[in-house]
Amino acid sequence: MQSPETTPSEPMLEARGIHKSYGSKHVLKGVDLTVVKAEVLTILGPNGCGKSTFLRCLNLLEQYQQGSVWLKGQQVSAGHPEDHVPSRVEQDQAQKLRQRVGMVFQRFNLFPHMTVMQNVMSGPKYVLKKSDDETHDIAEKMLKKVGLWEKSPCDPLTLSGGQQQRVAIARALAMNPDVMLFDEATSALDPVLTKEVFKVVRELAAEGMTMLLVTHDMDFARDIADRVVFMEGGIVAAQGSPSYIFDERPTEGIRKFLEKG
Amino acid sequence: MWTYLVEQIHIGDLIVAARWPLYLTALSMPMAVFFGLFLALMRLSSSKMLSWPSAAYIEIMRGTPLYVQLFLVYYTLPQIGIAFHTRALTLDPFPAAVICLAANYAAYEAEIHRAGLQAVDKGQREAALSIGMSEKQSFFLVTLPQAFRIILPPVINDAIAMLKDSCLASAIGVMELLKVAEGIGKNSEVGLANMYIAAGVLYMILSLGFYFLGKYIEIKLRARGGAELSLTQARH
Repeated sequence: MQSPETTPSEPMLEARGIHKSYGSKHVLKGVDLTVVKAEVLTILGPNGCGKSTFLRCLNLLEQYQQGSVWLKGQQVSAGHPEDHVPSRVEQDQAQKLRQRVGMVFQRFNLFPHMTVMQNVMSGPKYVLKKSDDETHDIAEKMLKKVGLWEKSPCDPLTLSGGQQQRVAIARALAMNPDVMLFDEATSALDPVLTKEVFKVVRELAAEGMTMLLVTHDMDFARDIADRVVFMEGGIVAAQGSPSYIFDERPTEGIRKFLEKG
Repeated sequence: MWTYLVEQIHIGDLIVAARWPLYLTALSMPMAVFFGLFLALMRLSSSKMLSWPSAAYIEIMRGTPLYVQLFLVYYTLPQIGIAFHTRALTLDPFPAAVICLAANYAAYEAEIHRAGLQAVDKGQREAALSIGMSEKQSFFLVTLPQAFRIILPPVINDAIAMLKDSCLASAIGVMELLKVAEGIGKNSEVGLANMYIAAGVLYMILSLGFYFLGKYIEIKLRARGGAELSLTQARH
């Protein structure tokens, strides 16, 4: 069940028929999804519906078995059998893809042996091989954007969870990605810390960043999304405007899901 | 007291001989740690072609006495052609001992490396990949530095063990500390027991040196945040 697409706009990231299995467990059963430029898309669904797995397939942290992923109209990855060992070329392609698609994790995953500043510099410095001055400028700009410039010399583990997640966002942004993926970015945070992370995400949305967010926070999902995607049983069960999903509740699955929450 | 130490114990000779355990350990241990990393990476590999030889090497080296290995390296290796050509059919005792200690301890260090690498949160590699690093970069810039903090205490522990195991090198003729102490004890009235105590004290002092070296590195690293912290705090 799909609501009609009305905004013909430049497709940014596109998944076509993604199938993914872990052994005999068929997790994704043909997921099709297109995100257009500057669109904010939230993905909802019950636990185990495959939403995190789908997000991880988009930047190839998980390999998928069938289908393809397209970035700005170019195919950037394809499905392979489960036991497929990526070739050198495929690894390079995956690396290139990830340089253009930022990701924020539930558990922040900051590098504990580096300072906050070094964390944010790591992408421009080691991946983009920019000069020290340039790297420093980028990191400073990103840390100021998330409001943590004064924490730059700190050990990341001395920060609160919300601050750590904002640093993680800054680290991803420092690569100047085309798309940002948020994998339950606030599930490990209390409501107060969640708020400060959401504030940063809102600012990114206002700046026109293309984003896909997997979240369990219904209010936020509704509030920030241009479009809400409801996944169930490894497929996109419904998608549409926030009011379409939350008010009209077009499927039985959505009704059950929203009543429980 | 002083004259006793100098004239009866020959403390000067002992101190000079104490350089052998130190040299042996200082040379062999870094080699063991380095070689052990390769063994650990092979063992962790999904390819059986790599993991099986590594596992076999580790079990053989851990499962047989160092004493036996020393004899084999010293007397057998030259016969199959890997000679250093000092005497016709033998290695020099010192290089033989260095190779042997390194090869033996590499097996133990491999297991320490393996545990250390596995203890680093998988999310660290994923985060590194997600900002576009290659697998190689994520390993050397993110995983390995964190594993290093975890393996440091057990590696220092093994360095201290090696220091004392190095006395086995006397079996193939390295005139190291214990051998010299025995020599003095047998040829004077001071007695073997006293000489063993004196040698023991010197080993102890050397061990303490490694202990403080380890502590120093640990403190330097902790100033920059430890991997142990990340393991406990990452949960919430």
